[in-house]
Amino acid sequence: MSTQMPEVEVLTDFAVREHRSLWLDAWRRMKASRTAMLGLVVVVVFLLSAVGAHLFWNYDAKTDLDYSSKLLPPNLVSSTENPNVHIFGTDKLGRDIFTRVIHGGWNSLRVGLVAVGISLIIGCLLGLFSGFFESFEMNRIEKLVLMSGLGLALGLLPAWIASQWYQTLLFGGLGAAAVFVEKKLAQSKLRPVLFAAAGALLGGLSGLLLAPLVGLVCGVVGLLIGLLLNKPVNGKAFSSITMRVMDILLSFPSYLLAIAIVAFLGPGLEKGMIAIGVVGIPVYARLARSAVLSVSQKEYVLASQSVGEGHGRILFKHVLPNILSPIIVQATMGLASAILSAAALGFLGLGAIPPEPEWGAMLGDSYKFLSSGAWWAVLFPGLAIVFSVLGFNLLGDGLRDALDPKMRTK
Amino acid sequence: METLMRIKDLHTRFHTQDGTVNAVNGISYAMQAGEVLGVVGESGCGKSVHALSILRLIQIPPGEIEAGEIWFAGRDLLKLDDSGIRKVRGREIAMVFQDPMSSLNPVYTVGFQISEALMLHKGMNKNQARERACELLNLVGIPEARKRLDNYPHQFSGGMRQRAMIAMALSCEPKLLIADEPTTALDVTIQAQIIELVIRLQEELGMAVMWITHDLGIVAEMAQNINVMYAGFLIERGNVHEIYHQTRHPYTLGLLGSLPSIDEAPGTRLISIPGLPPDLIGLPQGCPFYARCAFRADHCRLERPELEEAGSSGHNVACWRWREIDAETLRKSAGGAQ
Repeated sequence: MSTQMPEVEVLTDFAVREHRSLWLDAWRRMKASRTAMLGLVVVVVFLLSAVGAHLFWNYDAKTDLDYSSKLLPPNLVSSTENPNVHIFGTDKLGRDIFTRVIHGGWNSLRVGLVAVGISLIIGCLLGLFSGFFESFEMNRIEKLVLMSGLGLALGLLPAWIASQWYQTLLFGGLGAAAVFVEKKLAQSKLRPVLFAAAGALLGGLSGLLLAPLVGLVCGVVGLLIGLLLNKPVNGKAFSSITMRVMDILLSFPSYLLAIAIVAFLGPGLEKGMIAIGVVGIPVYARLARSAVLSVSQKEYVLASQSVGEGHGRILFKHVLPNILSPIIVQATMGLASAILSAAALGFLGLGAIPPEPEWGAMLGDSYKFLSSGAWWAVLFPGLAIVFSVLGFNLLGDGLRDALDPKMRTK
Repeated sequence: METLMRIKDLHTRFHTQDGTVNAVNGISYAMQAGEVLGVVGESGCGKSVHALSILRLIQIPPGEIEAGEIWFAGRDLLKLDDSGIRKVRGREIAMVFQDPMSSLNPVYTVGFQISEALMLHKGMNKNQARERACELLNLVGIPEARKRLDNYPHQFSGGMRQRAMIAMALSCEPKLLIADEPTTALDVTIQAQIIELVIRLQEELGMAVMWITHDLGIVAEMAQNINVMYAGFLIERGNVHEIYHQTRHPYTLGLLGSLPSIDEAPGTRLISIPGLPPDLIGLPQGCPFYARCAFRADHCRLERPELEEAGSSGHNVACWRWREIDAETLRKSAGGAQ
């Protein structure tokens, strides 16, 4: 026997796939999809024009006014009759529509980013915490933070009714108190009564300072909050309370809720951002929670726990990266719907304040002139909305396919 | 030898909608430093749950460690606070899990995951931890360890992932390694490699190993002592020789009988234990094995046997009729009946 045993290294040298990260892999699949690339191009053009216009193209909406050239049709070349080039025409105040469409893009982008940012951050945090603590026991500090946070959030309702904002602090305190008396009153039958009474007093007494009726309403709301906070302090309770609040938010038609919030806050682009952002929170919260629930059961989470990692580390380093892809897809789609919602609010006069260029507001300004033949004043802002929404939707679809683990075969 | 860990009357329960699942019902035993202990039993007999209880990795709720003491290095693990138990996990007691496919996080490189524990417990900086991770991968027999540090788990085969998991578990030189069916998901050749690896490392590093499995063949090869569990009870405990040759519990006997042997004549039927383990929600009042036992007597149904010394010291069994069970003669008679 002269054949030698191959070396150990050869024996154990398993077939190695080419080094490829998840994101590189996803990018390859994105490139293969034509619609996704189309979406990406549209989005990039939109982003570049919006950011470029904001940075390098000065435009003062307040002084832009020229009655001599109002409602001019699109005019591509300069002639003696029409010396000024308006490639998209002009609107009822003689403003160049092209300029306003481009600058309106910046506003739409701002609304989209801020609104999605609000819903993404708040929604994801709520979803992460409620999903995570369903399978992990909370320690005292986490209990304190989450329960007082819950109290603060629930306290917003009576505080808003009585417009006494300090009430949120009172209910936040009640949430914290629930943690402190947890051990002492755990078995006591008096506990729900105490909490209901405390809630009713916190809401009712401070409401009474305004009017008896306000005191009554706030008292009842406070009583309910007290009963909610009285539930045993654990992840399940936190999760179910948060999710029920999300259900309530979801049960309103989203535009109606956004309009209601703007009506309360007052018109303006920034208020619109907040309204659209708040309306979007439940979507992210539910998405994140369901993803966290499934990831928390994975063995690598148990493994990271078994080497002694703390909750924060496990949640943000091991769970969060594994739930990112559905959230990224949802955020991209969310940008499209936020732009659409902003346009809807603008059209109704609840978004941007008039001279400010905003696509929805431009539509709302000009649709009355459609009957007199000024189609350009409506068409171009409308197309801008259509293309930006389409672009983000195509990109989102492409991302969803690209990030889908079931597609990772190639 | 010095006692490493002493478990006293451990009870772990799960409160589910259908009722309370009694997963671990009063287990007591001690482990010596440097000992290799095999824990065997059918699926769902509380092997894994009792191991997870040691590290307090039971999900609460629905789980709850209701009673007991786990003394490890002079303190009761069940009485430690949150940060206290976290310092034990990984540093003093490490764990390797069953499924190597899902026990590494897919979004991080293997090197990062091994260094994480090092940075956490040993306060190493990134480069030191990386160096140490490389050494560890070498130690567990992964070729070209330095290159492999930057690989993602999906680029590793199942056996290599389990090696990486073992490297991770060994990173802080624990005194006790709990291996929860680490070879169940692997094929037989890889299984043998992993067992060999753990035995080699156990001898080199002098740590104690608790090897949980349902495969009596594996523990016969590597363990010094064996705990046999059934329905959350410890029913027999002894050294390998006692368990295999002086078996005293009918259940252990059944487990051994259901192992195929190469010497058997072709066509010999394997002996299987009839029935299923009892429902852990409503445990029977008497011996948990009563319904399936070939040696049962009326008394067994009424009163639960306690663990008592059988024959030699260190060999314990929980059975009313252990005196009448003599493994050798039984085996002979079974052979004669064929």
